[in-house]
Amino acid sequence: MDERVKKITSLDPVTFEVLRNAFITIVDQMAEQVRRTCYSFVVYNRDFSNGLCNARGDTVAQGNQDLAAHVGTLHYTCKAVIEDFDGDIHPGDVFLVNDPYIGGTHFSDTRVLVPIFCGSELIAWSQANGHWADMGGSVPGSFDVTATEMFKEGIRVPPVKIWRRGEYCADVANLVAKNTRDPSAIIGDMVAQTQACKLAEREILRLADKYGVETIKTAFAEVQDYVERAVRQRLAELPDGEWETVDYVDQDPSGEEGMIPIHVKMIIRGDEVEFDLTGSHPTIGSMYNCAFGGTFAGIVAGMKTFFPDIPLNSGLYRTITVTVPDDTIVSARWPVAVSGFVMPFEKIMNSIFELWSKLMPERAMACAFNIEYLQTGGYDARYPNRPYFMLYDWLSGGWGGRNGKDGLGATSSCFGVGLMIQPVEGQERLCPVRTDRFEIVTDSAGPGEFRGGVGLDKEGTILDAEDCVFSYFCDRERSVVWGIEGGLPSRPHGLWMEYGGKKEFLGAVFSDVPVKRGTRFWRGTAGGGGYGDPLKRDPEKVKADVEDDYVSVARAEMDYGVVIKVIDEDLAEYEVDEEATLEARETIAAKRRGWLQEEPESVAQRFRDGEIDLYDVIRRYGVICNWGTGELLPNSTRDFRTSMQRRSASHWT
Amino acid sequence: MPKLRVAVDIGGTFTDICVLDENTGTLEIAKVASSEDPIDAALSGMDKLGIDLEDVTLFAHGTTVATNALITRQLPSTAMVVTEGFRDVIEIGRSTKQDLWDAYKDNPPPYIRRRDRLPFTERTTALGEVEMPVDEAAARELAGKLRRRSYEAVTICFMNSFANPANEREMKRILAEELPGVAVSNSADVLCEIFEHDRFSTAVVNAVVHPVIGAYALRLQQRLRDGGYRSDLLLLHSGGGVMTPNTLDRQAARLAGSGIAAGAVASKYIATLCGFENSIGFDMGGTSTDVSLVFGGDSTVTREWYIEYGHPICFPSIDIKTIGAGGGSIAWIDDAGSLRNGPQSAGARPGPACYGQGGEQPTNTDADLVLGRLGSGLAGGDLRLDPALARAALTRHVASAMGVGVTEAAKAVIDVANANMADAIRLVSIMRGYDPRDFALIAFGGAGALHGAALARDLSIPTVIIPPNPGVTSALGCLLVDIQHDITLVYLEETTCANPAAVEEAFGALETEAYERLESEGVEPAQRVLQRSIDMRYAGQWRSIAVPVPAPFVSIDEVVRAFEEAHLREYKYKRDGVALEIFRLNLTAIGLTPKAELKRYEPSGRTSSPHAERPVVFDNANETLETPVYLRDDLMAGMEIEGPCIVEQLDSTTLVPSDATVNVDEWLNLRITV
Repeated sequence: MDERVKKITSLDPVTFEVLRNAFITIVDQMAEQVRRTCYSFVVYNRDFSNGLCNARGDTVAQGNQDLAAHVGTLHYTCKAVIEDFDGDIHPGDVFLVNDPYIGGTHFSDTRVLVPIFCGSELIAWSQANGHWADMGGSVPGSFDVTATEMFKEGIRVPPVKIWRRGEYCADVANLVAKNTRDPSAIIGDMVAQTQACKLAEREILRLADKYGVETIKTAFAEVQDYVERAVRQRLAELPDGEWETVDYVDQDPSGEEGMIPIHVKMIIRGDEVEFDLTGSHPTIGSMYNCAFGGTFAGIVAGMKTFFPDIPLNSGLYRTITVTVPDDTIVSARWPVAVSGFVMPFEKIMNSIFELWSKLMPERAMACAFNIEYLQTGGYDARYPNRPYFMLYDWLSGGWGGRNGKDGLGATSSCFGVGLMIQPVEGQERLCPVRTDRFEIVTDSAGPGEFRGGVGLDKEGTILDAEDCVFSYFCDRERSVVWGIEGGLPSRPHGLWMEYGGKKEFLGAVFSDVPVKRGTRFWRGTAGGGGYGDPLKRDPEKVKADVEDDYVSVARAEMDYGVVIKVIDEDLAEYEVDEEATLEARETIAAKRRGWLQEEPESVAQRFRDGEIDLYDVIRRYGVICNWGTGELLPNSTRDFRTSMQRRSASHWT
Repeated sequence: MPKLRVAVDIGGTFTDICVLDENTGTLEIAKVASSEDPIDAALSGMDKLGIDLEDVTLFAHGTTVATNALITRQLPSTAMVVTEGFRDVIEIGRSTKQDLWDAYKDNPPPYIRRRDRLPFTERTTALGEVEMPVDEAAARELAGKLRRRSYEAVTICFMNSFANPANEREMKRILAEELPGVAVSNSADVLCEIFEHDRFSTAVVNAVVHPVIGAYALRLQQRLRDGGYRSDLLLLHSGGGVMTPNTLDRQAARLAGSGIAAGAVASKYIATLCGFENSIGFDMGGTSTDVSLVFGGDSTVTREWYIEYGHPICFPSIDIKTIGAGGGSIAWIDDAGSLRNGPQSAGARPGPACYGQGGEQPTNTDADLVLGRLGSGLAGGDLRLDPALARAALTRHVASAMGVGVTEAAKAVIDVANANMADAIRLVSIMRGYDPRDFALIAFGGAGALHGAALARDLSIPTVIIPPNPGVTSALGCLLVDIQHDITLVYLEETTCANPAAVEEAFGALETEAYERLESEGVEPAQRVLQRSIDMRYAGQWRSIAVPVPAPFVSIDEVVRAFEEAHLREYKYKRDGVALEIFRLNLTAIGLTPKAELKRYEPSGRTSSPHAERPVVFDNANETLETPVYLRDDLMAGMEIEGPCIVEQLDSTTLVPSDATVNVDEWLNLRITV
């Protein structure tokens, strides 16, 4: 143990440990109360976070169950409030803010802050942050993918007071609420979050009574120092060096065909870590941009995945430096649209998974599926008064294969693993949309010695709905979920629709598409990317996957070179044909480098002719098409092949 | 002729037997090692106490058989028949993880593998219309496949069956006919509630444990009957009531919480006996501590519980918070130099360092021993504790790293453990709006009496009650409960639209079902009690609060008022002028079991005197204090002793701090005023 870590805190160890735990307990209790009293179904399904900051706005504790996409942003918000109201912060004040350009994430994530006074001294802040169901703007739910500037996205709330010295500021609260589609629910959430902050205030004051206010203030500083010490010690134990990768957002809808790069370089020197995102693409003509708050969150959340036991507070943030030029897709400024910040966020997070996988092979992990979100709105004609309905639906999918274990299947996205998916029966009761299938998809996992987790398909029919429209937010239709260490990609995202016998692929991002009664639609989530060479996977594991329909007999041979004999399908009995397997594996090993060199247009043509399927196009040939028409996307293919060469082919022996 | 009530609580290590003599009200206790077939230990324990089963009027049982079967996955081969397209509901779940950040930690897999989940084409709408009925020929064909795979149990889980169970029941009829000897069940008749994952998961747990617990209960009942017992076996369930084996087919999953519920029930009983309507049960064992809360005479209830994360069992259950802190929890210093406590435990083997069984890590028990709070004999002297080993472990792993002496280190270890437990109690009490000053703390379990007083002081709880046999209190819980069924109906209506007569009618339907169930349990009409409550919320909220309502139901205003009070208490605010809604109607059907009373002891009029003295370190001192040690058996009703002192007995040690007074009450509970 080095000297710095040995340094004994100025509090006695028991008081320190008691307060350290108490701060976390308080924040977790705030979360529990928010969840029990909230109105937004997004908050209810755990898109929220809670924190305790010191008088300067540094985070002392953030909740254990909080959403990944919010970590590392609460201190920015708190400092922004302090800056705006310096000298005008009083007991009984309550602040509201959702501004993504001063460290927030997007407009939906609305933060309530309460300054905690001990007598006349400001000692701390409590903060409750929740994703409200609607913030106004051009579409219900406030995600307009066609927005390039914030003016279509919703109401921007800089730091304002909603209570002033204990007096409710109805004017300000109403100004916000009445710019949304459901003012009464918005006020309900505002109150629920305020009361959660008040709960923290009572608890902090109880601790101050018991231990003395100076002790509490000291403990605020020391829990941050404690985390900083722990992180620095681990960084110091790692070799110095630089590691670099690039991941992509699918496209710039206002630009030419081609994926949008996000570069991440990680530099470890001594006990510090720097992330340099220089080289990332300029902001793009859609809402898939990220301001600095969301970028920092992606970096912190990626790191935290490799140090899961390290508590979240500013002590961790102090060990991290971030460099990024202005006005890129990961450093957007007002008034660039940023509601889709989660798309760059997840690319950063997965890049950091990849970089740390090199440093900590024992926790290595390939790419996870991309978050996706389908908004359906319209009038419910099952009832005579035709009420307006909104169905916001998100799915889980597969995470990347791991060193020694297959990836997590049917798990919420890395945007926030705590985000629960919704029950179909609740949706069918509330909306005139029937779900016909919601299942794990055979062969959706990226093949590898340790395959990715499985992805899902959800398929539905529009019933008695009128004036119904779809908007869809997703990515990795082209920047397909990748494998590492020789593992293979999984499958692309995207939504299909069928009406009057006509089938159409709408892709992974679109807005305001009218849908008629009787329309069938389906979309899937990717499995995780594979880890390690799939030709090295134990054939018995492939057989077990076939028994459970995670892998088909056909793809067992194509992806893994494992030839399975069907003994009795009714009894789920199969056998590995060992001789044929050896042969198939040799053939694939001999040919696969060549497949990645094949002329892309001829691959696309064979796909269009139905000679090869989508899995072959991606996993064997590394080619990216418009998955509806089969048209080749040459620029996307070029970059995808380069990535696949680096992450997969270069590891094949 | 003696009339005896016997309660048997079978745990992993010990089987506790508690016998109440109805004529005298006296209790007898035995603790025997659990056996491979748990029934053997139960019967040999009764032999040890010289019980003739012909004298037994009531035999109640808390068991971990179902819990262990789930955890070890020793489950019968079971199939699930599901609506086509919904094969993976129990695998997809809500898609969250217990540990959000550790990507290498996985949730436990479903109890039924994917290959054993068989799709079937049928459909019912959310509003209860059968869109596609069960095709009989197809059903019989599927039965052929199920037969070839020779499953022991099959559960049918169809979408929207809560709204209309016709398809599920038709399928069940056909499969039961085709598959004689196979336990066939269906989700809506196990739990008739909306949300497929909750309902399917509950039905699956029910299906996989029913053959296990059913066979076990029948075997036990048979062996009891062979010995001359004439009544039904009563099984303690997670809701804090008992059931007979007759309703196991629909309720077996409730027994997955049987073992944990016993302690909470006993704690509530003792508190009520002592005149406390509000109490906190603090059951501290070797590896974990269970905390439960009773307010106004009722246990708090949850519908969100599970044995393994991701596989909910949605029957109402006593809300018990379990934390990984017990006597065997290990104290350690983390990378950044902070003193931590648990959740790792030394368990029973090797156990704490002082057991001399090869344990090298210091535990709370070691710290208590070093401080003199624990004597050197445990469980009546069968096990000797070695203070030198405890001191060595504490010195090596805590004191030297902190740069302090061993006594200070031991105090620090206990202080951190107590603070963690106090936080857990705070979570279920103060933070839910309950004022601890209105509560009594019932401290039991092997280590509860040692830590109870310190926690009570930290939490401002004025009274601590230590039952006569803290180590076997859980078994007592099984003796004192009624038959209980919980039946619910999702109702969903704004209060301004709700018609009291319609609500009354819906309750009426629930009552018909309740009477049927009590009838099948053989409960006489005079012994039947029904309790109603309504789950209410502000319209737009996602969670509700259960509010008790009278029968017949006449006033909406009254239930609105009761809800607002509850919201104010729990969350410290209410909202005026906004809409409210009814979410769910609940009916609890109770079959009263005849109660016997514990014996009251007359004040002895004598004063007590300590058995010995030993040096003990208390919270507010670093020096040892020569402290009187009393034997629990010497403490008679009406006696009063002053802290600081120690009370020792076979299964537990009570620590009484200075400035605290102990009164021995007429049931021989120690009531400590802190």
